[in-house]
Amino acid sequence: MKKFQDWQGTIIVWALLLTMPFWIGHIGGYTTLGTRVVVLAVAAMSVNFLLGFTGVLSFGHAAYFGLGAYGAGLTIKYLAASSMAGLVAGVLLGTVGAMLIGLMIVRLRGVYFAMVTIAFGQIFYFVSFRWVNLTGGDDGLTGWTRMPLSLGPLSLDILHDETAFYYFVLACFGAAAAGMALLLRSPFGRTLLAIRENERRARFLGIPVDQHIWMSFVISAAFASLAGVVYAYLNNFVDPRAFRWDQSGDFVIMAVLGGMRSFWGPLIGAAIFVVLQDKLSSLTDYWMTPLGLFFVLAVVFFPRGVLGMLKRRRAT
Amino acid sequence: MSQVILFNLLNGLIVGAFYALMALGLSLILNLSGVINFAHGGFLALGAYFAYSLAPITGFWIALVIAPLGAAIIGVAVERVLIRRLYGRDPLYSLLMTFGLAFIFQDGLKFIWGAQSVPYQIPSWLASPLSMDLFFLTGYRIFMIAVVAIAVGGLFLILGYTRLGIRIRAGTLDLDTVSVLGVNVRVLRSLNFGLGIYLAGLAGVLAAGMLGLAPTIGDQLIMPSFVAIIVGGLGSLPGTLVGGLLIGVVSGITSVYFSEATEAVIYVMMALILMVRPHGLFGDEGRLQ
Amino acid sequence: MSLLEARGVSRHFGSLVAVDDVSLSVESGELRAVIGPNGAGKTTFFNLLSGFFPPTAGKILFDGRDITALSAHQRVALGIARTFQITEIFPELTVMENLLIPVETAAGLRTTPWLTKARRAETEARVQDLLQMSGLTPKAERLAGELSHGDQRAIEIMMALALKPRLLLLDEPTAGMGDQETHDVVRLIRDLHKKERLSIVLIEHDMRVVFHLADRILVLAEGAMLAEGTPKEIAANEKVQAAYLGGVE
Repeated sequence: MKKFQDWQGTIIVWALLLTMPFWIGHIGGYTTLGTRVVVLAVAAMSVNFLLGFTGVLSFGHAAYFGLGAYGAGLTIKYLAASSMAGLVAGVLLGTVGAMLIGLMIVRLRGVYFAMVTIAFGQIFYFVSFRWVNLTGGDDGLTGWTRMPLSLGPLSLDILHDETAFYYFVLACFGAAAAGMALLLRSPFGRTLLAIRENERRARFLGIPVDQHIWMSFVISAAFASLAGVVYAYLNNFVDPRAFRWDQSGDFVIMAVLGGMRSFWGPLIGAAIFVVLQDKLSSLTDYWMTPLGLFFVLAVVFFPRGVLGMLKRRRAT
Repeated sequence: MSQVILFNLLNGLIVGAFYALMALGLSLILNLSGVINFAHGGFLALGAYFAYSLAPITGFWIALVIAPLGAAIIGVAVERVLIRRLYGRDPLYSLLMTFGLAFIFQDGLKFIWGAQSVPYQIPSWLASPLSMDLFFLTGYRIFMIAVVAIAVGGLFLILGYTRLGIRIRAGTLDLDTVSVLGVNVRVLRSLNFGLGIYLAGLAGVLAAGMLGLAPTIGDQLIMPSFVAIIVGGLGSLPGTLVGGLLIGVVSGITSVYFSEATEAVIYVMMALILMVRPHGLFGDEGRLQ
Repeated sequence: MSLLEARGVSRHFGSLVAVDDVSLSVESGELRAVIGPNGAGKTTFFNLLSGFFPPTAGKILFDGRDITALSAHQRVALGIARTFQITEIFPELTVMENLLIPVETAAGLRTTPWLTKARRAETEARVQDLLQMSGLTPKAERLAGELSHGDQRAIEIMMALALKPRLLLLDEPTAGMGDQETHDVVRLIRDLHKKERLSIVLIEHDMRVVFHLADRILVLAEGAMLAEGTPKEIAANEKVQAAYLGGVE
């Protein structure tokens, strides 16, 4: 019964995502908006891998998101004009960054962990801001674009064809979602749930908690850097704001808004966030006020997020 | 050269004093209520703008004292209406709420006072240099350090010798016991929040005199304040003070030798300190795990 | 050679001496009780044995090997499992998952991202055994946090057993239980001891339970050893009686 309901959700999600370019125009959106949702959903799901399924709050995932974005952009600009090369380099850069920073913070917990992750993100922000020769500084990294894909005889012009690019992003999303889902259903994933539920119990069942948090942190950051790569491709541009703490905060908001205990919650959260931001900013210059107000009210009245609420209603 | 170093050292000390003032307020709130107040930069700006609107009417000195009080009153109201609801829940939620509040602040300030930066008038005798040799040593810089010193001294006197301060410190160590002893924890948390915001507002007024006013004035101060708390050690107010001054000075000196790293250096320093002392310089190993 | 040996262990918290020069030696297959008035340092002593924190002084040996410096999870890997005075389980996971996690950890699968069918069948069979043993089979799909106190205690003991330990440390297994629940748990412990020949150290307040189960008893008072011996010897010991009566006054 429970399994069927799980699959039900997954089928609906994929049916909607796969057909998105065909219906989004009819409800007042546009393909690139849908692409943005999917890109940010990857980031929000990566944050939630840590938050919702390991019980660890990182408020600094923009660091790995930004590393992915810059890694991809710099690779295409200076090293190899290939989207695939940029993707590999970006994910690699973000993952290695997380491995090193992870070592310094895995012993910390709770609010302290959150604060230190925020602060670490700032290092990359200032490096990208100040190393103007390499990164373009505050003006951002320009002079490059994502490149058309060529897979043997097949080629896909993701540069000029927005719909093709959407499906490229969706493929990345699918890979990330499948990877995370697989891990969460594995014995390794269950050790993470154990840590979320009761760290002391986990430790006294023989799970080296710090080590597993480190692994979860690195995996999560790897997916965040993948999101950063496709984010850079989406805009054909990166700037230091990708590293900023409010970017990290946005990811956490998305995860919580959608429901951090549910696998697809962050996707819903990302959709709400992106659409709201898009609509509000087209209506008024002061769009941050209603958006901020929405966060505040959501935290007070819907702490379990959209999917958390739905689940609860179904249970009662 | 030595003048340049002296200038940057002093500048670092002033900047550090700002960080410390802001970080002490953040620390007070974090220690007693477990809330990381992302909106602290917004409250700082609010204090500055209150002073901007008040000073033409009341003069500089009264504005300096009253404007932070205004920010503190707004702070207590926000705490009573919103933040209070989240005590005892996962700290994640208060973090997100203050994050949302920071959005609202930034927009609201822009809406009321405009997005453009405006100058803030300080008394002319404070604006002039003290001597020709030390041209950079304006009266205002000395004045700021003095005000920060008085404020910090006052804070530690309040915490050490008044009933409110003693209760705040006791509550920081063990809130349940304090509550059982008959202290009204709700009021205590509100007053403590107001005290923290007062310090932020004061930092705002002082900063306005040096940098001028802009809605984003608090933005570049909040992250270094986090670093000050982490470096000093969570839960330790003297640690926060030392942390703030330390990162100010280190950043000031770095600007002489490797100006590109002026901002980044404090985060690198934080990383190094965390590697040696995971709980900061004065942090307590067992707390806040 | 003793299975577990503590040699003169102490633990200080600042100026407070919580455990003071306590020695203990548990033989394989033995059931040892640790008793003492409130604040005698029993749980602190357990925390030292299980690696919650290191002792300030003294040595702990398991199977002849010095484990004093080993962390909690390393001790679990050697075969020491424990339960807590206040139940520690995974409340928002099902009973099944609560047991699956230690089963998989004990099987060395904790970092495995993918299970073969055979492996999965193995672990699930083991979980079914544990469910059966504890009578929790009908509640396997329920969330552990929703069950009664007694059921949660049973889950916790089963989680420890799922690790296939060589030594089981039980911290007040009957705390907060009614008569029927206490009876069930006592029977479970006795079965583990008599039938499975499991070595057990338990802290217990309920003297009926202690004298009914234990081979030998260690009495702590104010952090130090007061007496050690068979239940009969302890019952007759004047110092023990004084300590308990003194605690009442």
